[in-house]
Amino acid sequence: MSTSTESATPRKKSNVNAMRLFERYALILVWFLLIAGFSIAMPESFLRWGNFSILFASYAPAALLALAIIIPLTSGDYDLAVGATMTLSSCMIAVLNSWMDVSIELSILLALLGGLAVGLFHALFIVYFRIHSLVVTLGSTSLISGVVQWFTNSSTIGGIDNALIMWVVGGRLFGVPYAFYYAFAAAIVLWYVFDFTPLGRRLLFVGRGREVARLNGIPVEKMRVGALVASSVVAALAGVLYAGVLGSADPYSGLNYLLPAFAAAFLGSTTIMPGRFNPWGTIVAVYFLGTGITGLTMFGIPLWVTNVFNGGALILAVTISQLTRGREASDIG
Amino acid sequence: MRIQVNDESTKTTATHINGNREIHMTHSNTIKGLVSALALSVAGTAASAQDASEGIARAQEALAPYLEQPVFTAPGDPFDIRECAADRKMLAIPNSSANPFLKGIIDRMKAVGEDIGLEVAEWENQGQPSQWVQGFDFAIRDGFDVINLISGISPDTVVPQITAANEAGVKVTTSHFYDPSDTPNELLSSTLPVGFNEIGKILANWVTVNTDGAGKVLLVVSREVPPTIPLVDGFESVLAENCPDCEIVQEVNVGVAEWGTKIQSSVQSALQANPEIDVIVPIYDSMSQFVVPALRLTGNLGSVKVATFNGTPFVLDYIQEGSVSMDIGESLDWIAYATVDANMRDLCGLPVPEKLNVPFYIFDESNAEMAGTPAQFDTGYGDAYVSGFRELWGLN
Repeated sequence: MSTSTESATPRKKSNVNAMRLFERYALILVWFLLIAGFSIAMPESFLRWGNFSILFASYAPAALLALAIIIPLTSGDYDLAVGATMTLSSCMIAVLNSWMDVSIELSILLALLGGLAVGLFHALFIVYFRIHSLVVTLGSTSLISGVVQWFTNSSTIGGIDNALIMWVVGGRLFGVPYAFYYAFAAAIVLWYVFDFTPLGRRLLFVGRGREVARLNGIPVEKMRVGALVASSVVAALAGVLYAGVLGSADPYSGLNYLLPAFAAAFLGSTTIMPGRFNPWGTIVAVYFLGTGITGLTMFGIPLWVTNVFNGGALILAVTISQLTRGREASDIG
Repeated sequence: MRIQVNDESTKTTATHINGNREIHMTHSNTIKGLVSALALSVAGTAASAQDASEGIARAQEALAPYLEQPVFTAPGDPFDIRECAADRKMLAIPNSSANPFLKGIIDRMKAVGEDIGLEVAEWENQGQPSQWVQGFDFAIRDGFDVINLISGISPDTVVPQITAANEAGVKVTTSHFYDPSDTPNELLSSTLPVGFNEIGKILANWVTVNTDGAGKVLLVVSREVPPTIPLVDGFESVLAENCPDCEIVQEVNVGVAEWGTKIQSSVQSALQANPEIDVIVPIYDSMSQFVVPALRLTGNLGSVKVATFNGTPFVLDYIQEGSVSMDIGESLDWIAYATVDANMRDLCGLPVPEKLNVPFYIFDESNAEMAGTPAQFDTGYGDAYVSGFRELWGLN
């Protein structure tokens, strides 16, 4: 009896480990299968480095925005204003640089300071006045977008200094425009902070249980303020990239990046480090969704299909992840 | 590409005659057959080339009026507009006050109103139907004489309000919404349609002329916007008629709310999948904001032409930079004059023009600077209409 029990336990453990391993890399596997499928169907057009380099660059602002979201999500707060902050940043650059002849460097700096101010504004109401982050950031989205419409006169502004366009999409490394590497660098920094510093661990503890974290001596309020400010500054950085990719700015289009960014953040939490918002998972999710949209568009499939693909992939991945993990605690939901 | 199409027709003819030869002909007859096949194919090629060149000539002729500085044409008989406008009030409700194009029209309508003694007010809104409804209530309560729905508010969405306004003696009109081919809502007192179909035709003729009759087109549309349908119909019909060798390689349909997130990636994918595309037609020029980055990233900026419609200033700047090839514009001030003119005619029982008589004007690299640097709304169209309307209204 004892022998059979001993032999059964390791097998069970190894099954669990295999499941875990599969779960960690399932999305990447599906991503490669997707690439393989599109490549077989369209070897001439899809399976080209040029196609992937463009895909990597054009989704860089979305990737950076999704990375911005996962910082406060990890500490248990929602930042619904990242799309508005990105728009604020790109429009500030356009107005300052194109309309008011401020140098592009100073315009970028002021746009980032704008992001910092938004983060502090959120922190004041969320942490100091203890209003739920959903309410505050929902309200600030409307507030910021109104202000942006005011100072842009609700118009699209072109004529941003060509230097920014060159910094973002003009130069290429291995054929891939720089925009991608900025998002990649941000992912490395976040990965380091989340996984290799006490700060990252504390952030996770704050998100998993504020009272427990407080009782353990973690400065919960400071952590939350830091996360909210970091989120807004990274969103402002996404705005810099967005202005560089487009070479223009408008007060509306950036707002629509909010839901895809959230979708990518949640989808990303099902891979690499399942159950936890993590930067590499987020990057994989952004480019997984981007690959789907690119391939489907190349097929000439109507664009509503891409919405179905995005939504379906998200719900399916999160559900499978949840079923696999059973009742184990996670950041999701 | 035209040569390839003709090559295929040549092959078809030759195969057909070769098939007959195997059964009926001798060797010498074979040569005769081949010669006649060649003659037929050459004739076919020549005929096709002639079709194409005739199409280009027709397109050039059709484009000519839009390349000239717009000329004023009186929309009706002269009348004393001051007498007509005396003690009258007009409420303009735009689709959204956040739209600078519409805001610009209404601001100029107010200025024209001041000139002729008509009180013009705007019902400021953010594009929400509930706000439009409030505008109707305000107009009825405040004794306005006419409500003008500007560009985008479908009368079908506010039928109870139009009925209430009519019962209260307030006329309801639309401008810059219907195409002349549409059947307007019967509750409206009058409408000022815009030739969206005509715009589609201009775009098709421009593509024909500027691709030597062989354009491979990527069409970017938003089919949920009502003017899209007549515009695309006009584009497709004239392209088929004047440019038999042109082809719409792909149509990308993106909802307005998704322009920012979908147009760039879709255009990039379409260009990667179909490298033969040499002209992109985003039918509304604000789409260009996302088309130009797609061209830049795919290395096609400057080599793939972009033709569009609306005359939005930043797109006219794009023309000056060489990113966009042409943009069809309309003068906001002219629209304002024409709208006030038609609404006053309606109020005073005079015949209302059948459409908004504001000419379309093509901006390209040759004249984009006339719109200003940076470009402005309403610049570059000349001012022939100002003296024209003033004379028509008895103000001079």
